[in-house]
Amino acid sequence: MSIKYAILAILAERDMHGYELKSNFDDKVGEFWSLNFGQIYSTLDRMEKEELVTHGRETQERRPDRKIFSITAQGRQELNEWLTTPVNKVRALRDEFFIKLVFMDKRDPGPLLDLITKQKALYLKQMSKLTQQKMALKKGADNPDALTSELLIDAGLFHTEADIKWLTLCEAKIRAAGNQPEKK
Amino acid sequence: MIELKKAGRMYRQGNREVYALRDVSLLIKSGEFLSIMGPSGSGKSTLLNLMGGLDQPSSGEVFMDGKPLHGISDYELTLIRRRRVGFIFQFFNLLPLLTAEENVGLPLLLDGLPFTEVQPKAAALLRQVGLGERREHRPEQLSGGEMQRVAIARALITEPAVILADEPTGNLDSHTSEEIFLLLRNLNEQGQTIVMVTHDSKAAAYGSRVMTLKDGAIAEDMMIAEPAS
Repeated sequence: MSIKYAILAILAERDMHGYELKSNFDDKVGEFWSLNFGQIYSTLDRMEKEELVTHGRETQERRPDRKIFSITAQGRQELNEWLTTPVNKVRALRDEFFIKLVFMDKRDPGPLLDLITKQKALYLKQMSKLTQQKMALKKGADNPDALTSELLIDAGLFHTEADIKWLTLCEAKIRAAGNQPEKK
Repeated sequence: MIELKKAGRMYRQGNREVYALRDVSLLIKSGEFLSIMGPSGSGKSTLLNLMGGLDQPSSGEVFMDGKPLHGISDYELTLIRRRRVGFIFQFFNLLPLLTAEENVGLPLLLDGLPFTEVQPKAAALLRQVGLGERREHRPEQLSGGEMQRVAIARALITEPAVILADEPTGNLDSHTSEEIFLLLRNLNEQGQTIVMVTHDSKAAAYGSRVMTLKDGAIAEDMMIAEPAS
């Protein structure tokens, strides 16, 4: 997945310049996905070559002109196709923790089990924060993006829960492996 | 609020001694929302039962507000259970022949209070849990989520020192569960002490403290947030 579609979706609402685009992006999905200006502008360049967006110029007093980007008909079509197609790829397993797991010594499980315990505690604290954000959202004023934000927070909660369950399984399997007589 | 000092619970199975809980010491402060997690058979429900006076320790001590729950008569224990503890169970444990309002009022009716006095309290609590329009319904006419709300109202009617919940949403879908947790969290924000047994970390994340049991002992005990109240 590229940021291209997020940019298309934001520009589909209205034309805007790069700075606005970034703050819009941050408002909507910034909680989960961080982007810098460089990434935005290089993607916009590429999208212009693919004729998915075009730009006009806005003159500003005492400052250089700035580009106002808009979505093309072709861009709208591509966005619509993307939005209505289910996601084929399962979430990539490239969490930093997996790499630690690979390199930790499994013959001496003590430090690895410690790490798992700490990691679980951290995930639980993260879930507590997400839950508090969700409650604040529910108490706040109604706004059209609130449901989306809530659903994304839910996704974060379910994924973290799965991570905790998986770590608990790791713990049990590592302990069981350590208890096998031939490995003593 | 609730304190356990080296509390243990041993059962005899023939000649064998089985320890459901070993030397557990812990202090739960007023206003806390504690979640107890752990694999099945780790002693979660036994611990909850000791805290609520549903069971007594075979060794060690259990105190509620400084008063012992161990070594007292069944009658005394029944009174503490009825007046100081609100229970919420996975399968709601409502009486099928009673209306929602009567189920909510039951703990006070058992204590001998007249229904005319109990009824307005029960009605107010049902309104508080969002069931003001369901007062006359019997459990079979309610959804799972509604039945659990009735059970929560029933747990609240004695203004208990603590609410003990054993897998309160084990039987409900995710969305309904969330509404139950939000309700519990709101009660906690108003100062209600809550202890909940759960295997669901999404549920535990509503609380301020998470304890993990393993083989009848505390394996982990951590604060995950500031207490809400």
